[in-house]
Amino acid sequence: MTKDYSLNFYSIFKWVIIISFVVYAVFPFLWLVLASLKTNAELLDNPFKLPKVFQFQNYSNAIQEAGLIQLIINSLVISTCATFLNILFASMCAFAIARHIFWWKNVLFLMITAGILVPLNALIIPYYAIINFLNLYDTRIGLILVYCAVGLPVSTFILTEFFKGIPKEIEEASYLDGCNFVARYFRIMLPLALPGLATAGTFQFILCWNEFIYAMLLTSSTEIRTIQFGISYFTNEFFSDYVGMFAAVVVSILPSITVFILFQERVITGLTAGSVKG
Amino acid sequence: MKIKKDEVGWLLLFIAPTLILFTLFFILPILFLLASSFTNWDGISAEFVGFENYVKLFNKKSFVRAITNNLYWCITAALITVPLGLIIALLLSHRSRGWKVFRTVLFVPQVVSSAAIAMLWAAVFNAEYGLLNFILDNIGLSDYKNHNWLGNVRTANAALIGFSLCYVGYFMVIMLAKTASISEDYYDAAKIDGASQIQKDFYITAPLIKSTFFLCIILAVIFNLRQFEYVYLMTAGGPANKTQVLVVYIWNELTVQRLGRGSAAGVIMIALGAMLLLLLRRILKSETYN
Repeated sequence: MTKDYSLNFYSIFKWVIIISFVVYAVFPFLWLVLASLKTNAELLDNPFKLPKVFQFQNYSNAIQEAGLIQLIINSLVISTCATFLNILFASMCAFAIARHIFWWKNVLFLMITAGILVPLNALIIPYYAIINFLNLYDTRIGLILVYCAVGLPVSTFILTEFFKGIPKEIEEASYLDGCNFVARYFRIMLPLALPGLATAGTFQFILCWNEFIYAMLLTSSTEIRTIQFGISYFTNEFFSDYVGMFAAVVVSILPSITVFILFQERVITGLTAGSVKG
Repeated sequence: MKIKKDEVGWLLLFIAPTLILFTLFFILPILFLLASSFTNWDGISAEFVGFENYVKLFNKKSFVRAITNNLYWCITAALITVPLGLIIALLLSHRSRGWKVFRTVLFVPQVVSSAAIAMLWAAVFNAEYGLLNFILDNIGLSDYKNHNWLGNVRTANAALIGFSLCYVGYFMVIMLAKTASISEDYYDAAKIDGASQIQKDFYITAPLIKSTFFLCIILAVIFNLRQFEYVYLMTAGGPANKTQVLVVYIWNELTVQRLGRGSAAGVIMIALGAMLLLLLRRILKSETYN
Protein backbone atom coordinates (compact mmCIF):
# COMPACT_ATOMS: atom_id res chain seq x y z
CA MET A 1 0.00 0.00 0.00
CA THR A 2 2.70 2.48 0.95
CA LYS A 3 4.41 1.87 -2.37
CA ASP A 4 1.28 2.70 -4.28
CA TYR A 5 0.91 5.88 -2.31
CA SER A 6 4.43 7.09 -3.03
CA LEU A 7 3.94 6.29 -6.68
CA ASN A 8 0.89 8.48 -6.78
CA PHE A 9 2.67 11.29 -5.07
CA TYR A 10 5.49 10.99 -7.56
CA SER A 11 3.17 11.07 -10.53
CA ILE A 12 1.43 14.17 -9.20
CA PHE A 13 4.84 15.80 -8.80
CA LYS A 14 5.65 14.70 -12.32
CA TRP A 15 2.62 16.31 -13.91
CA VAL A 16 3.01 19.50 -11.91
CA ILE A 17 6.58 19.91 -13.15
CA ILE A 18 5.83 19.03 -16.74
CA ILE A 19 2.72 21.16 -17.02
CA SER A 20 4.34 24.17 -15.36
CA PHE A 21 7.21 24.12 -17.83
CA VAL A 22 4.87 23.67 -20.75
CA VAL A 23 3.02 26.75 -19.53
CA TYR A 24 6.32 28.61 -19.13
CA ALA A 25 7.43 27.75 -22.65
CA VAL A 26 4.15 28.24 -24.50
CA PHE A 27 1.98 30.65 -22.56
CA PRO A 28 3.90 33.78 -23.67
CA PHE A 29 3.44 32.73 -27.31
CA LEU A 30 -0.29 32.25 -26.88
CA TRP A 31 -0.55 35.58 -25.08
CA LEU A 32 1.32 37.28 -27.93
CA VAL A 33 -1.13 35.88 -30.47
CA LEU A 34 -4.08 36.98 -28.34
CA ALA A 35 -2.63 40.45 -27.79
CA SER A 36 -1.93 40.86 -31.49
CA LEU A 37 -5.66 40.56 -32.18
CA LYS A 38 -6.69 43.47 -29.94
CA THR A 39 -6.69 47.21 -30.31
CA ASN A 40 -3.96 49.20 -28.55
CA ALA A 41 -6.49 50.67 -26.13
CA GLU A 42 -7.73 47.20 -25.17
CA LEU A 43 -4.17 46.01 -24.63
CA LEU A 44 -3.26 48.88 -22.31
CA ASP A 45 -6.53 48.56 -20.45
CA ASN A 46 -6.26 44.86 -19.70
CA PRO A 47 -3.47 42.83 -21.34
CA PHE A 48 -5.26 39.57 -20.84
CA LYS A 49 -8.94 40.09 -21.67
CA LEU A 50 -10.31 38.69 -24.91
CA PRO A 51 -10.81 41.46 -27.49
CA LYS A 52 -14.37 42.60 -28.31
CA VAL A 53 -13.73 42.14 -32.00
CA PHE A 54 -10.75 40.20 -33.32
CA GLN A 55 -8.64 42.78 -35.12
CA PHE A 56 -7.35 40.74 -38.03
CA GLN A 57 -6.44 43.89 -39.90
CA ASN A 58 -3.53 44.26 -37.44
CA TYR A 59 -1.90 41.54 -39.47
CA SER A 60 -2.43 43.04 -42.91
CA ASN A 61 -1.23 46.39 -41.55
CA ALA A 62 1.84 44.82 -39.97
CA ILE A 63 2.76 42.87 -43.08
CA GLN A 64 2.64 46.08 -45.14
CA GLU A 65 4.19 48.38 -42.56
CA ALA A 66 7.24 46.21 -41.91
CA GLY A 67 7.55 44.80 -45.44
CA LEU A 68 7.43 41.32 -43.94
CA ILE A 69 7.01 39.50 -47.25
CA GLN A 70 10.26 40.97 -48.58
CA LEU A 71 12.07 40.17 -45.32
CA ILE A 72 10.90 36.56 -45.39
CA ILE A 73 11.84 36.11 -49.05
CA ASN A 74 15.31 37.54 -48.34
CA SER A 75 15.78 35.14 -45.46
CA LEU A 76 14.60 32.22 -47.56
CA VAL A 77 16.96 33.00 -50.44
CA ILE A 78 19.98 33.56 -48.21
CA SER A 79 19.34 30.54 -45.96
CA THR A 80 18.67 28.21 -48.89
CA CYS A 81 21.80 29.21 -50.80
CA ALA A 82 23.98 29.05 -47.70
CA THR A 83 22.59 25.64 -46.72
CA PHE A 84 23.08 24.25 -50.22
CA LEU A 85 26.69 25.42 -50.43
CA ASN A 86 27.42 24.34 -46.88
CA ILE A 87 26.10 20.81 -47.40
CA LEU A 88 27.82 20.49 -50.79
CA PHE A 89 31.23 21.55 -49.42
CA ALA A 90 30.91 19.70 -46.13
CA SER A 91 29.81 16.46 -47.81
CA MET A 92 32.67 16.65 -50.31
CA CYS A 93 35.15 17.11 -47.50
CA ALA A 94 33.47 14.46 -45.35
CA PHE A 95 33.59 12.01 -48.28
CA ALA A 96 37.30 12.61 -48.69
CA ILE A 97 37.95 12.15 -44.97
CA ALA A 98 35.61 9.24 -44.21
CA ARG A 99 36.41 7.10 -47.21
CA HIS A 100 40.06 7.63 -48.04
CA ILE A 101 43.40 7.12 -46.43
CA PHE A 102 45.90 9.96 -46.44
CA TRP A 103 48.33 10.79 -43.69
CA TRP A 104 46.96 14.21 -42.68
CA LYS A 105 43.29 13.32 -42.58
CA ASN A 106 43.02 13.04 -38.81
CA VAL A 107 44.74 16.38 -38.34
CA LEU A 108 42.35 17.93 -40.83
CA PHE A 109 39.27 16.43 -39.19
CA LEU A 110 40.36 17.44 -35.69
CA MET A 111 41.16 20.96 -36.78
CA ILE A 112 37.81 21.47 -38.51
CA THR A 113 35.73 19.98 -35.70
CA ALA A 114 37.63 22.02 -33.11
CA GLY A 115 35.95 24.96 -34.85
CA ILE A 116 32.68 23.88 -33.20
CA LEU A 117 34.03 25.03 -29.86
CA VAL A 118 35.20 28.48 -30.93
CA PRO A 119 32.84 31.18 -29.59
CA LEU A 120 32.46 32.78 -33.02
CA ASN A 121 30.74 35.92 -31.77
CA ALA A 122 34.14 36.99 -30.46
CA LEU A 123 35.24 37.32 -34.08
CA ILE A 124 32.81 39.98 -35.28
CA ILE A 125 35.55 42.57 -35.76
CA PRO A 126 37.72 40.37 -38.02
CA TYR A 127 34.63 39.21 -39.93
CA TYR A 128 33.66 42.80 -40.54
CA ALA A 129 37.17 43.57 -41.77
CA ILE A 130 37.42 40.48 -43.98
CA ILE A 131 34.04 41.01 -45.62
CA ASN A 132 34.90 44.65 -46.27
CA PHE A 133 38.27 43.62 -47.66
CA LEU A 134 36.56 41.21 -50.07
CA ASN A 135 34.23 44.06 -51.07
CA LEU A 136 31.22 42.03 -49.99
CA TYR A 137 29.77 44.36 -47.36
CA ASP A 138 26.00 44.72 -47.70
CA THR A 139 25.72 41.97 -50.33
CA ARG A 140 23.77 38.72 -50.23
CA ILE A 141 26.90 36.85 -51.32
CA GLY A 142 28.84 38.08 -48.31
CA LEU A 143 26.21 36.90 -45.88
CA ILE A 144 25.78 33.57 -47.69
CA LEU A 145 29.53 33.01 -47.55
CA VAL A 146 29.71 33.71 -43.82
CA TYR A 147 26.67 31.53 -43.03
CA CYS A 148 28.07 28.72 -45.13
CA ALA A 149 31.46 28.97 -43.42
CA VAL A 150 30.35 29.19 -39.78
CA GLY A 151 28.28 26.01 -40.19
CA LEU A 152 31.06 23.97 -41.81
CA PRO A 153 32.55 22.43 -38.63
CA VAL A 154 29.20 21.03 -37.45
CA SER A 155 28.13 19.83 -40.91
CA THR A 156 31.51 18.23 -41.62
CA PHE A 157 31.38 16.50 -38.27
CA ILE A 158 27.81 15.16 -38.68
CA LEU A 159 28.43 14.02 -42.26
CA THR A 160 31.82 12.39 -41.63
CA GLU A 161 30.35 10.37 -38.76
CA PHE A 162 27.38 9.45 -40.94
CA PHE A 163 29.51 8.44 -43.94
CA LYS A 164 31.68 6.24 -41.72
CA GLY A 165 28.56 4.31 -40.74
CA ILE A 166 27.64 3.40 -44.32
CA PRO A 167 28.91 -0.07 -45.35
CA LYS A 168 31.93 0.10 -47.63
CA GLU A 169 31.06 -2.90 -49.85
CA ILE A 170 28.98 -1.14 -52.48
CA GLU A 171 31.58 1.53 -52.91
CA GLU A 172 34.43 -0.96 -53.12
CA ALA A 173 32.59 -2.96 -55.77
CA SER A 174 32.03 0.12 -57.84
CA TYR A 175 35.68 1.08 -57.32
CA LEU A 176 36.77 -2.27 -58.78
CA ASP A 177 34.36 -1.79 -61.67
CA GLY A 178 36.26 1.37 -62.50
CA CYS A 179 33.93 3.96 -61.02
CA ASN A 180 36.03 7.10 -60.49
CA PHE A 181 36.26 9.44 -57.50
CA VAL A 182 33.58 11.92 -58.56
CA ALA A 183 31.15 9.23 -59.66
CA ARG A 184 31.55 7.38 -56.37
CA TYR A 185 30.65 10.57 -54.53
CA PHE A 186 27.64 11.49 -56.66
CA ARG A 187 26.27 8.08 -57.59
CA ILE A 188 27.05 5.96 -54.54
CA MET A 189 27.69 8.11 -51.49
CA LEU A 190 25.12 10.89 -51.79
CA PRO A 191 22.09 8.63 -52.46
CA LEU A 192 23.04 6.38 -49.53
CA ALA A 193 23.64 9.33 -47.25
CA LEU A 194 20.34 11.15 -47.82
CA PRO A 195 19.17 10.90 -44.18
CA GLY A 196 22.50 12.29 -42.97
CA LEU A 197 22.36 15.10 -45.52
CA ALA A 198 18.84 15.93 -44.38
CA THR A 199 19.89 16.04 -40.72
CA ALA A 200 22.90 18.27 -41.37
CA GLY A 201 20.86 20.36 -43.81
CA THR A 202 18.09 20.95 -41.28
CA PHE A 203 20.59 22.04 -38.66
CA GLN A 204 22.29 24.39 -41.08
CA PHE A 205 19.05 25.85 -42.42
CA ILE A 206 17.69 26.65 -38.98
CA LEU A 207 21.04 28.15 -38.00
CA CYS A 208 20.92 30.46 -41.03
CA TRP A 209 17.24 31.29 -40.69
CA ASN A 210 17.58 32.30 -37.04
CA GLU A 211 20.92 34.08 -37.31
CA PHE A 212 20.98 37.68 -36.12
CA ILE A 213 24.38 39.15 -35.32
CA TYR A 214 26.13 38.65 -38.68
CA ALA A 215 23.06 39.93 -40.53
CA MET A 216 23.29 43.11 -38.44
CA LEU A 217 27.07 43.27 -38.83
CA LEU A 218 27.33 42.69 -42.57
CA THR A 219 24.25 44.23 -44.18
CA SER A 220 22.63 47.64 -44.01
CA SER A 221 20.23 48.18 -46.91
CA THR A 222 16.56 47.24 -46.62
CA GLU A 223 16.48 45.31 -49.92
CA ILE A 224 18.56 42.44 -48.60
CA ARG A 225 17.67 42.62 -44.90
CA THR A 226 16.75 39.27 -43.33
CA ILE A 227 13.69 38.71 -41.18
CA GLN A 228 15.63 38.34 -37.93
CA PHE A 229 17.49 41.60 -38.41
CA GLY A 230 14.21 43.15 -39.53
CA ILE A 231 12.64 42.23 -36.18
CA SER A 232 15.03 44.58 -34.39
CA TYR A 233 13.51 47.49 -36.32
CA PHE A 234 9.97 46.68 -35.23
CA THR A 235 10.20 48.77 -32.05
CA ASN A 236 10.99 51.86 -34.12
CA GLU A 237 8.74 51.11 -37.07
CA PHE A 238 5.68 50.50 -34.96
CA PHE A 239 6.61 52.96 -32.23
CA SER A 240 3.48 53.02 -30.06
CA ASP A 241 1.46 50.62 -32.22
CA TYR A 242 2.12 47.68 -29.89
CA VAL A 243 -0.46 45.35 -31.37
CA GLY A 244 0.96 45.93 -34.85
CA MET A 245 4.39 45.01 -33.54
CA PHE A 246 3.01 41.89 -31.90
CA ALA A 247 1.35 40.86 -35.16
CA ALA A 248 4.65 41.34 -36.98
CA VAL A 249 6.48 39.20 -34.43
CA VAL A 250 3.82 36.48 -34.75
CA VAL A 251 4.16 36.47 -38.55
CA SER A 252 7.94 36.25 -38.28
CA ILE A 253 7.70 33.29 -35.90
CA LEU A 254 5.09 31.47 -37.97
CA PRO A 255 7.37 29.94 -40.65
CA SER A 256 9.66 28.35 -38.04
CA ILE A 257 6.80 26.91 -36.01
CA THR A 258 5.02 25.55 -39.10
CA VAL A 259 8.13 23.83 -40.38
CA PHE A 260 8.81 22.46 -36.92
CA ILE A 261 5.32 21.01 -36.53
CA LEU A 262 5.46 19.44 -40.00
CA PHE A 263 8.91 17.90 -39.63
CA GLN A 264 9.21 17.47 -35.85
CA GLU A 265 11.39 14.39 -35.78
CA ARG A 266 13.75 15.66 -38.44
CA VAL A 267 14.13 19.06 -36.77
CA ILE A 268 14.73 17.57 -33.34
CA THR A 269 17.37 15.14 -34.62
CA GLY A 270 18.87 17.90 -36.73
CA LEU A 271 19.16 20.40 -33.90
CA THR A 272 20.54 17.93 -31.39
CA ALA A 273 22.87 16.13 -33.82
CA GLY A 274 25.62 18.70 -33.42
CA SER A 275 25.83 17.72 -29.78
CA VAL A 276 26.79 14.09 -30.26
CA LYS A 277 30.31 14.80 -29.11
CA GLY A 278 31.75 17.65 -27.08
CA MET B 1 40.26 3.25 -49.35
CA LYS B 2 43.78 3.86 -50.60
CA ILE B 3 44.09 6.68 -53.06
CA LYS B 4 45.06 5.94 -56.65
CA LYS B 5 47.77 8.25 -57.93
CA ASP B 6 45.50 9.84 -60.50
CA GLU B 7 42.83 10.58 -57.91
CA VAL B 8 44.94 12.73 -55.59
CA GLY B 9 43.91 15.79 -57.57
CA TRP B 10 40.22 15.04 -57.01
CA LEU B 11 40.77 14.43 -53.34
CA LEU B 12 42.44 17.81 -52.90
CA LEU B 13 39.73 19.47 -54.95
CA PHE B 14 37.04 17.98 -52.70
CA ILE B 15 38.74 19.19 -49.55
CA ALA B 16 39.65 22.61 -50.95
CA PRO B 17 36.36 24.54 -50.54
CA THR B 18 35.96 23.57 -46.90
CA LEU B 19 39.62 24.17 -46.15
CA ILE B 20 39.65 27.57 -47.85
CA LEU B 21 36.51 28.76 -46.07
CA PHE B 22 37.77 27.37 -42.77
CA THR B 23 41.04 29.23 -43.17
CA LEU B 24 39.26 32.42 -44.20
CA PHE B 25 36.64 32.41 -41.44
CA PHE B 26 38.26 30.54 -38.56
CA ILE B 27 42.06 30.54 -38.66
CA LEU B 28 42.65 33.93 -40.24
CA PRO B 29 40.14 35.82 -38.03
CA ILE B 30 41.65 34.40 -34.86
CA LEU B 31 45.17 35.42 -35.89
CA PHE B 32 43.83 38.77 -37.05
CA LEU B 33 42.03 39.29 -33.74
CA LEU B 34 45.18 38.51 -31.79
CA ALA B 35 47.29 40.86 -33.90
CA SER B 36 44.90 43.79 -33.83
CA SER B 37 44.39 43.46 -30.08
CA PHE B 38 47.89 44.90 -29.60
CA THR B 39 47.19 47.96 -31.74
CA ASN B 40 45.06 51.08 -31.51
CA TRP B 41 43.42 50.29 -34.85
CA ASP B 42 40.44 52.54 -35.57
CA GLY B 43 39.53 51.38 -39.06
CA ILE B 44 41.96 53.75 -40.75
CA SER B 45 45.36 53.50 -39.08
CA ALA B 46 46.89 51.15 -36.58
CA GLU B 47 49.89 51.51 -34.31
CA PHE B 48 51.42 48.95 -32.01
CA VAL B 49 50.52 49.75 -28.41
CA GLY B 50 51.54 46.58 -26.58
CA PHE B 51 49.26 45.48 -23.78
CA GLU B 52 47.58 48.86 -23.38
CA ASN B 53 44.18 47.60 -24.59
CA TYR B 54 44.18 44.74 -22.12
CA VAL B 55 45.22 46.94 -19.20
CA LYS B 56 42.52 49.50 -20.07
CA LEU B 57 39.85 46.82 -20.40
CA PHE B 58 40.53 45.30 -17.03
CA ASN B 59 40.41 48.73 -15.45
CA LYS B 60 36.99 49.38 -16.96
CA LYS B 61 34.17 48.58 -14.57
CA SER B 62 31.72 47.86 -17.39
CA PHE B 63 34.05 45.29 -18.92
CA VAL B 64 34.60 43.43 -15.68
CA ARG B 65 30.84 43.52 -15.19
CA ALA B 66 30.42 41.99 -18.67
CA ILE B 67 32.67 39.08 -17.72
CA THR B 68 30.85 38.54 -14.42
CA ASN B 69 27.49 38.65 -16.16
CA ASN B 70 28.61 36.10 -18.74
CA LEU B 71 29.68 33.88 -15.85
CA TYR B 72 26.24 34.38 -14.24
CA TRP B 73 24.59 33.26 -17.47
CA CYS B 74 26.86 30.21 -17.66
CA ILE B 75 26.42 29.25 -14.01
CA THR B 76 22.64 29.63 -14.11
CA ALA B 77 22.47 27.44 -17.19
CA ALA B 78 24.81 24.80 -15.76
CA LEU B 79 23.35 24.67 -12.26
CA ILE B 80 19.66 25.33 -12.91
CA THR B 81 18.60 24.93 -16.53
CA VAL B 82 20.46 21.70 -17.26
CA PRO B 83 19.50 19.93 -13.99
CA LEU B 84 15.87 20.95 -14.57
CA GLY B 85 16.22 19.52 -18.05
CA LEU B 86 17.47 16.30 -16.48
CA ILE B 87 14.47 16.09 -14.16
CA ILE B 88 12.01 16.63 -16.99
CA ALA B 89 13.89 14.13 -19.16
CA LEU B 90 13.64 11.54 -16.36
CA LEU B 91 9.92 12.19 -15.99
CA LEU B 92 9.26 11.97 -19.72
CA SER B 93 11.44 8.88 -20.00
CA HIS B 94 8.54 6.88 -18.53
CA ARG B 95 7.04 7.42 -21.95
CA SER B 96 3.60 7.74 -20.44
CA ARG B 97 0.77 8.86 -22.66
CA GLY B 98 1.39 12.06 -24.57
CA TRP B 99 5.12 12.33 -23.80
CA LYS B 100 5.89 13.20 -27.41
CA VAL B 101 3.52 16.15 -27.32
CA PHE B 102 5.24 17.54 -24.21
CA ARG B 103 8.64 17.01 -25.75
CA THR B 104 7.61 18.87 -28.89
CA VAL B 105 6.03 21.74 -26.98
CA LEU B 106 9.02 22.20 -24.69
CA PHE B 107 11.31 22.26 -27.71
CA VAL B 108 9.48 25.16 -29.38
CA PRO B 109 11.66 27.99 -27.93
CA GLN B 110 14.71 26.33 -29.47
CA VAL B 111 13.19 26.49 -32.97
CA VAL B 112 12.15 30.14 -32.82
CA SER B 113 14.89 32.71 -33.40
CA SER B 114 16.49 34.48 -30.44
CA ALA B 115 15.50 37.82 -31.93
CA ALA B 116 11.80 36.89 -31.90
CA ILE B 117 12.05 35.40 -28.40
CA ALA B 118 13.68 38.62 -27.22
CA MET B 119 10.77 40.68 -28.58
CA LEU B 120 8.28 38.28 -27.05
CA TRP B 121 9.77 38.41 -23.58
CA ALA B 122 10.39 42.13 -23.76
CA ALA B 123 6.62 42.38 -24.21
CA VAL B 124 6.03 40.06 -21.26
CA PHE B 125 8.26 42.24 -19.05
CA ASN B 126 6.87 45.54 -20.32
CA ALA B 127 5.78 47.98 -17.63
CA GLU B 128 2.61 49.30 -19.30
CA TYR B 129 1.03 46.28 -20.95
CA GLY B 130 3.27 43.40 -19.88
CA LEU B 131 1.89 39.99 -19.02
CA LEU B 132 4.07 39.55 -15.94
CA ASN B 133 2.92 42.69 -14.12
CA PHE B 134 -0.67 41.88 -14.95
CA ILE B 135 -0.39 38.42 -13.44
CA LEU B 136 1.43 39.70 -10.35
CA ASP B 137 -1.18 42.41 -9.90
CA ASN B 138 -3.97 39.87 -10.09
CA ILE B 139 -2.47 37.55 -7.51
CA GLY B 140 -2.21 40.44 -5.09
CA LEU B 141 1.37 41.64 -5.57
CA SER B 142 0.30 45.11 -6.60
CA ASP B 143 3.64 46.69 -5.65
CA TYR B 144 4.76 45.62 -9.09
CA LYS B 145 1.90 47.29 -10.89
CA ASN B 146 4.06 49.52 -13.08
CA HIS B 147 7.41 47.96 -12.41
CA ASN B 148 9.78 48.20 -15.37
CA TRP B 149 11.58 44.88 -15.09
CA LEU B 150 14.17 45.45 -17.79
CA GLY B 151 14.73 49.11 -17.00
CA ASN B 152 15.29 48.72 -13.29
CA VAL B 153 18.83 48.31 -12.02
CA ARG B 154 17.79 45.75 -9.45
CA THR B 155 15.66 43.46 -11.59
CA ALA B 156 17.07 43.74 -15.14
CA ASN B 157 19.66 41.00 -14.83
CA ALA B 158 17.42 38.64 -12.90
CA ALA B 159 14.64 39.07 -15.46
CA LEU B 160 16.98 38.38 -18.37
CA ILE B 161 18.64 35.35 -16.86
CA GLY B 162 15.36 34.08 -15.41
CA PHE B 163 13.50 33.92 -18.68
CA SER B 164 16.35 31.98 -20.28
CA LEU B 165 15.08 28.98 -18.30
CA CYS B 166 12.61 28.48 -21.14
CA TYR B 167 15.52 26.79 -22.99
CA VAL B 168 15.24 23.82 -20.67
CA GLY B 169 13.62 21.89 -23.54
CA TYR B 170 16.77 21.68 -25.62
CA PHE B 171 18.82 19.94 -22.96
CA MET B 172 15.85 17.83 -21.97
CA VAL B 173 15.55 16.48 -25.52
CA ILE B 174 19.24 15.60 -25.73
CA MET B 175 19.08 13.67 -22.44
CA LEU B 176 15.73 12.11 -23.27
CA ALA B 177 17.15 10.76 -26.53
CA LYS B 178 19.90 9.09 -24.52
CA THR B 179 17.43 7.33 -22.22
CA ALA B 180 16.03 5.47 -25.23
CA SER B 181 19.31 3.54 -25.49
CA ILE B 182 19.06 2.09 -21.96
CA SER B 183 18.29 -1.63 -21.96
CA GLU B 184 14.91 -2.69 -20.55
CA ASP B 185 16.69 -5.44 -18.56
CA TYR B 186 17.79 -2.98 -15.90
CA TYR B 187 14.24 -1.91 -15.25
CA ASP B 188 12.94 -5.48 -15.23
CA ALA B 189 15.56 -6.46 -12.67
CA ALA B 190 14.72 -3.43 -10.55
CA LYS B 191 11.03 -4.27 -10.75
CA ILE B 192 11.69 -7.76 -9.39
CA ASP B 193 13.65 -6.18 -6.55
CA GLY B 194 10.62 -4.02 -5.81
CA ALA B 195 12.05 -0.66 -6.81
CA SER B 196 9.61 2.23 -7.06
CA GLN B 197 9.48 4.51 -10.07
CA ILE B 198 11.40 7.24 -8.31
CA GLN B 199 14.13 4.77 -7.37
CA LYS B 200 14.35 3.53 -10.95
CA ASP B 201 14.68 7.09 -12.20
CA PHE B 202 17.37 8.17 -9.79
CA TYR B 203 19.36 4.95 -9.39
CA ILE B 204 19.18 3.54 -12.91
CA THR B 205 18.31 6.13 -15.52
CA ALA B 206 20.14 9.13 -14.08
CA PRO B 207 23.56 7.43 -13.64
CA LEU B 208 23.32 5.88 -17.10
CA ILE B 209 22.85 9.24 -18.84
CA LYS B 210 25.53 10.98 -16.78
CA SER B 211 27.87 11.53 -19.72
CA THR B 212 25.09 13.21 -21.69
CA PHE B 213 24.27 15.37 -18.69
CA PHE B 214 27.90 16.55 -18.60
CA LEU B 215 27.81 17.19 -22.32
CA CYS B 216 24.75 19.38 -21.80
CA ILE B 217 26.59 21.39 -19.16
CA ILE B 218 29.45 22.00 -21.58
CA LEU B 219 27.00 23.03 -24.31
CA ALA B 220 25.17 25.33 -21.91
CA VAL B 221 28.41 27.08 -20.99
CA ILE B 222 29.45 27.54 -24.63
CA PHE B 223 26.03 28.91 -25.61
CA ASN B 224 25.90 31.36 -22.75
CA LEU B 225 29.37 32.70 -23.39
CA ARG B 226 28.16 33.66 -26.88
CA GLN B 227 25.09 35.36 -25.43
CA PHE B 228 24.19 38.40 -27.52
CA GLU B 229 20.66 38.78 -28.90
CA TYR B 230 18.71 38.88 -25.64
CA VAL B 231 20.91 41.43 -23.99
CA TYR B 232 21.32 43.53 -27.11
CA LEU B 233 17.63 43.58 -28.03
CA MET B 234 16.08 43.70 -24.57
CA THR B 235 18.34 46.00 -22.55
CA ALA B 236 21.31 46.84 -24.81
CA GLY B 237 23.51 46.17 -21.79
CA GLY B 238 21.72 48.77 -19.66
CA PRO B 239 20.53 50.11 -17.29
CA ALA B 240 23.91 51.55 -16.28
CA ASN B 241 25.80 48.60 -17.81
CA LYS B 242 24.14 46.35 -15.27
CA THR B 243 23.35 43.63 -17.83
CA GLN B 244 26.44 44.07 -20.03
CA VAL B 245 27.90 40.90 -21.59
CA LEU B 246 31.08 40.35 -23.59
CA VAL B 247 29.67 40.21 -27.11
CA VAL B 248 27.55 43.33 -26.60
CA TYR B 249 30.67 45.02 -25.23
CA ILE B 250 32.63 44.06 -28.35
CA TRP B 251 29.77 45.25 -30.52
CA ASN B 252 29.78 48.65 -28.81
CA GLU B 253 33.53 49.01 -29.32
CA LEU B 254 33.00 48.13 -32.98
CA THR B 255 30.33 50.80 -33.46
CA VAL B 256 32.63 53.51 -32.11
CA GLN B 257 35.49 52.19 -34.26
CA ARG B 258 37.71 51.28 -31.30
CA LEU B 259 38.60 48.12 -33.17
CA GLY B 260 41.86 47.38 -31.35
CA ARG B 261 40.15 47.54 -27.96
CA GLY B 262 37.26 45.41 -29.22
CA SER B 263 39.71 42.83 -30.55
CA ALA B 264 41.36 42.60 -27.16
CA ALA B 265 37.94 41.95 -25.63
CA GLY B 266 37.45 39.22 -28.26
CA VAL B 267 40.77 37.59 -27.36
CA ILE B 268 39.80 37.64 -23.69
CA MET B 269 36.46 36.05 -24.55
CA ILE B 270 38.07 33.22 -26.51
CA ALA B 271 40.61 32.65 -23.73
CA LEU B 272 37.82 32.61 -21.16
CA GLY B 273 35.93 30.04 -23.26
CA ALA B 274 39.01 27.82 -23.52
CA MET B 275 39.64 28.09 -19.78
CA LEU B 276 36.05 27.23 -18.91
CA LEU B 277 36.14 24.22 -21.23
CA LEU B 278 39.37 22.91 -19.73
CA LEU B 279 38.09 23.48 -16.22
CA LEU B 280 34.82 21.68 -16.95
CA ARG B 281 36.63 18.80 -18.61
CA ARG B 282 38.76 18.42 -15.55
CA ILE B 283 35.88 18.57 -13.06
CA LEU B 284 33.61 16.33 -15.09
CA LYS B 285 36.29 13.80 -15.93
CA SER B 286 37.22 13.21 -12.31
CA GLU B 287 33.49 12.87 -11.62
CA THR B 288 33.10 10.21 -14.30
CA TYR B 289 35.86 8.01 -12.97
CA ASN B 290 34.92 8.21 -9.31
